[in-house]
Amino acid sequence: MKELEFRDVTVRFGTGHGTVTAVDGVDLTVPAGSVVGLVGESGSGKSTLAKAAVGLVPESGGEILLDGRPVRRTRGRRTLQMVFQDPYSSLNPRMSVGDSIAEAMPRGRGRKERRAEVARLLELVELDASRAGSLPGGLSGGQRQRVALARALAAEPEVILADEITSALDVSVQGAVLNLVRDLQRRLGLSILFISHNLSVVRYVSDLIAVMYLGRIVEFGPAAEVLSAPRHPYTQTLLDAAPRVGTSLDDAVPADRSELDGEPPSPHDPPSGCAFHRRCPYGPLVLPERTICAEDDPMTGADTRPHRAACHFAADLEVSIP
Amino acid sequence: MRLTHWLNALRSPVGAVSATLLSAFIVLALIAPIIWGDAAEQTDPSALSQGPSAEHFLGTDGLGRDIWMRVLVATRTSLGLAVLATLIAVSIGTLLGVLPAVLGRRAGRLAVALVNLAVAFPALLLALFFAVIFGIGAKGAVLAIGIAGAPSFARLVQTNVAAVAGRDFVSAARVAGVGRVRLVFRHLLPNVGEPLVVNATVMAGGALLAFAGLSFLGIGVQPPTYDWGRLLGEGLSRIYLNPAAALAPGVAVVLAGLAFTLLGETIAQVVGLRTTARRGHLGVLPTLRRREPDEPTTTQPGSNGASVYDGVSTQHAAASTDGSTVRPDDAVLVARDLTVSFPGPRGWTHPVDGVDLTVHRGETVGIVGESGSGKSLTALAVARLAPEEAVVRASTLNFLGTSLPDRSDAELRRLLGTSMAMVFQDPMTSFNPSMRVGRQLAEVTRTHEGHSRRAAWDRAVDRLRKVRVPAAERRAAQYPHEFSGGMRQRAMIGMGLMSSPDLVIADEPTTALDVTVQRQVLRLLREVQRESGAAVVLISHDIAVVSQMCERIVVMYSGRVVEELPVDRLAEAAHPYTRALLGSVPDLATDVDRPLATIPGRPPDPGARPPGCAFAPRCAFADDTCTAPPVLEDVAPRQRAACWHPQSGPVAPSPLAGAEPAVDVPTRTGGQP
Amino acid sequence: MTAPPVAVTRRGGLPAGVRNPWLVFLGRRFARLVVSLAVLVTLAFLMIHLVPGDPVRAALGLTAPAELVEARRESLGLNDPLIVQYGNYLSGLFRGDLGVSMTSGVPVVDTIGQRLPASASLGLSAFVVIMVSAIPLGLAMAVLTRGGRRRGVELGFTSTSAMIAAIPEFLLAVGLIFVFAVTLGWLPVAGRGGLDSYLLPVLALSAGPTLVIARIVRVEALAVFGQDFVRTARAKRLPPWRVYFRHAFPNALTSTLTIGGLLLGSMIVGTVLVENVFAWPGMGMTIVQSILAKDYPLVQAAVLVYGLAVLLVNLMVDLLLAVVDPRSTIREA
Repeated sequence: MKELEFRDVTVRFGTGHGTVTAVDGVDLTVPAGSVVGLVGESGSGKSTLAKAAVGLVPESGGEILLDGRPVRRTRGRRTLQMVFQDPYSSLNPRMSVGDSIAEAMPRGRGRKERRAEVARLLELVELDASRAGSLPGGLSGGQRQRVALARALAAEPEVILADEITSALDVSVQGAVLNLVRDLQRRLGLSILFISHNLSVVRYVSDLIAVMYLGRIVEFGPAAEVLSAPRHPYTQTLLDAAPRVGTSLDDAVPADRSELDGEPPSPHDPPSGCAFHRRCPYGPLVLPERTICAEDDPMTGADTRPHRAACHFAADLEVSIP
Repeated sequence: MRLTHWLNALRSPVGAVSATLLSAFIVLALIAPIIWGDAAEQTDPSALSQGPSAEHFLGTDGLGRDIWMRVLVATRTSLGLAVLATLIAVSIGTLLGVLPAVLGRRAGRLAVALVNLAVAFPALLLALFFAVIFGIGAKGAVLAIGIAGAPSFARLVQTNVAAVAGRDFVSAARVAGVGRVRLVFRHLLPNVGEPLVVNATVMAGGALLAFAGLSFLGIGVQPPTYDWGRLLGEGLSRIYLNPAAALAPGVAVVLAGLAFTLLGETIAQVVGLRTTARRGHLGVLPTLRRREPDEPTTTQPGSNGASVYDGVSTQHAAASTDGSTVRPDDAVLVARDLTVSFPGPRGWTHPVDGVDLTVHRGETVGIVGESGSGKSLTALAVARLAPEEAVVRASTLNFLGTSLPDRSDAELRRLLGTSMAMVFQDPMTSFNPSMRVGRQLAEVTRTHEGHSRRAAWDRAVDRLRKVRVPAAERRAAQYPHEFSGGMRQRAMIGMGLMSSPDLVIADEPTTALDVTVQRQVLRLLREVQRESGAAVVLISHDIAVVSQMCERIVVMYSGRVVEELPVDRLAEAAHPYTRALLGSVPDLATDVDRPLATIPGRPPDPGARPPGCAFAPRCAFADDTCTAPPVLEDVAPRQRAACWHPQSGPVAPSPLAGAEPAVDVPTRTGGQP
Repeated sequence: MTAPPVAVTRRGGLPAGVRNPWLVFLGRRFARLVVSLAVLVTLAFLMIHLVPGDPVRAALGLTAPAELVEARRESLGLNDPLIVQYGNYLSGLFRGDLGVSMTSGVPVVDTIGQRLPASASLGLSAFVVIMVSAIPLGLAMAVLTRGGRRRGVELGFTSTSAMIAAIPEFLLAVGLIFVFAVTLGWLPVAGRGGLDSYLLPVLALSAGPTLVIARIVRVEALAVFGQDFVRTARAKRLPPWRVYFRHAFPNALTSTLTIGGLLLGSMIVGTVLVENVFAWPGMGMTIVQSILAKDYPLVQAAVLVYGLAVLLVNLMVDLLLAVVDPRSTIREA
């Protein structure tokens, strides 16, 4: 397993006036053998980042490196593999499970070898090896997602990018897939970029957590620290908003303020300064003297702050609670 | 499996007709020229241009040749040329159609543009154009019709391929390093094959007609060769003398064209492109489990055990719902033994199977369940919005004291329109895209309260302001697509507030929204509920969402209520399913060092529900008793569970904040009567 | 990418950066029309050059003296370099000069001017009949058969309409002639005369497209009935007519128009066949006779006329679509 590094990666869609910057100068490292959870709302660019890594979306700037060397976009063995969100669309309905898995294997193997490998991989993801001949049509969502994992592993990848792999599943089978991911990661020492909108899910599998907002990583650090002492108000907001049995709708810190109930900004028209300042409970809407938030880009100097937080007031986030 | 599909298709009227017609034509095409070929060329100078006679069934043409025989013999030429032209069209079309996928972005775009340009011109015009170039005659006509048909087929291939190319398995194949050519032949074409085959068949029919047209105009087949179109053209000039000479080849063309079209339909049915909703052998809907709510009855002859339990359940329901806790007049909504049934290919299925639901004034009730648990359908059924083909039955279904099943839609319109508000899951699709948001709100009061246009509009703006849509005046005049998702959902809530509702039914109102927006919408719903005093039914797959908002939670599994409990009793949920749900979904307090609790298997199809407790096959506590249907009964004050082995003690691993993880001792306490 | 800015500047001094979606759409659509026209004109021009061998020899026959062929080649300008011929052709087009018929010696423009009205009146009448009857029929069928109701009506409508729509217009014309002109003798067999002479050709032209469009309207409307916003309208407890007419039908029009537009295009060309059945003195007879006679200038002009008519219909449909469904216009732009 190797280390995956995004260096100043930018992805833009469209041309001229309609340009949207989906990923905006992202620096992110997935250390060898660890799981980085990437969390953010829809439209934050987290899936686009993963797609850029595997070459499904061309990056407009920056570099994607594997152990310091640019990711190869050649045929043959693919060093990065992706598992997709919707298990009902990610398997070819006309191809047997075994064929789908075998197709991803590196070239130059015999028929027999492939078949043995398919059986091994199916057992690895806790499916019966006899499933190899069946078509995806007869499988449940959870089983399909296991096959998708097996296919990704078949390519003997250096890094796996898992894009919302549990959000299309029924709640009663999500847990089993999450257990499997954790188990596989520990047994095989995989490096995984685990993408989800659900902070609880990310928390369960990740060693490190990166929080993405409007195309940028606004906070990055060890999972436990980011969750227990977030340094970016957006992370704080996500934590507050995550529904939890035994909590109330009013448990937000600081207390409920309807003026902050704004909509996420549009990537077509990103706000000036800090992209979060119009929804920030520690920003100019609450503390009017903090005009810097609307003026200066907090990305500059983020490296020097705790958790590389893109917030001018990251150092004294707790202190400043009004 | 596949073979039986085909056999079934052949038994359907369309399949039978197409098969018969087509085989008749094929046999004719093979043998007619051999048997009657010479006779059809025989000129009879004594019988020129005659009408039908004993000697000449359909009369003779200008040279005294037998028209009936000529029509029969022409089958081979007509069908052969049509099939040939179709082959040309399909080959060129497929090639052009997959080019965008093979070539990559820029060259692909050119191919698409080319096809788009050509498709704008009707095939007949293209055929005339090519007929000029390739010259008049059979060869020219085949090429002309073939090439003229190619663009539309190419367009079809392109759109189908593009739809498949956007799916994740194609992305996965690309990530796995699959080359473009293999991608096309292994992943794209196999998944678009069916519509292409169907359309190629229909196209063959079209080519046949086009040939007839060209030949009729004199541009197609040239003498001495003849096809149906040629015969028709010759016959038309003498339609006064012998109408059969013009009609017979015409009928032949129509029948052959029809055979191809119907064959296409049949193939489409077999491969599942068209669904035939056949209400075959459905039988009679089984009677409701309970007819009279307060009267124990045995309604399922042949299963004594079940009916006894039914009796118990009835008495029990009567006691706990109507007796002790609340007065009946306090209830906004009472549904008893609600069943929703759909006709299916193998008889009736019951996605909602005997649900009791009571909602009191000002109460917030959450319904939790996985997809397929019947929670949304339950809500739609009590709101009289279930799909048209569904059959909704209940022993009691009262809203504000009015029995809904006894009234017509028209009678209930005002009551439901002003007193019951609905909020649906997907705010993107739940607004009419071609109507201004303000007008969509305004029409509620205009319809039900007879407000003037102006007054209704003002009310709509006021309601939008109420649900904190910024710049409500301006927003009201916008179309839904100009709203963001969260704002649309607020507007939907605002729509429910146009009158003063007594009940708001929100069906997964936040599932399509981000967590931060979700909280805003939930807060708004709660604010509405507090201010208006309306009862709220919140439906969600997320037990945490429901727990934050509701006082009482109803857990559904496979169309039935398995547990009903106040939110503060969640930590002591009794039904193994409720407990498993709480344990298997990680939240921010889950112990990350322990594996998540898992539920083996998957929820059953409503059509294949196991007997007795539907959860039993996935349940760690299940035993033989569970094959009998459990009934909802009290396990604690205000808490009822439908389980033979209700659990007690805190749920573990505990998802509850502050609660220490406790070891769960499976206790098999009572529950059996 | 080039068209929109052109349109913006042309429409007078809009500040840069302001992009009215309507102008962008019109600009783009206009550019597409120009490209299509250019392709049409070029293909019509190239047609004579794509004919294998010597088109003039082919037209005049093998027995024609070599001098005559040469003279005809010269008069058609076929001996000039291709690019010069193209230039001449284009400038002729702009002057309204489409050449002279090889068979009759009459200027092609005169022939078209004489024949076009007959075809246009036929096509337009059929168009009106289709529009007036297809949409109400489809909507009525959709309402009657919604949610699997009235299986009998549904089966009757779908099978009857499929049968009739499967009969090509010229065969339908033959059948109509047989019944109404030959057997019953109510209407004239052929030719263009008074109002009664229009009945059969218009009926033959419009029956198929009417039923096909009615089927599309029905299917689209049924699809819209199943959409979330119709459920919302039902949840508002609006009276059924309001659910159907205010919410469902406007949203079913888009795809109907798209497919209907293509059908109308082929209906225009379908007049060629029907005119020949009824010996209607229009463009349809002209194009067939000129193809048979290898009268290339006349064929060129006729192809141009039909192509232009189809392009104009497509343009009309697209503009109508933009009015009915501004959303997709904006999305495309």
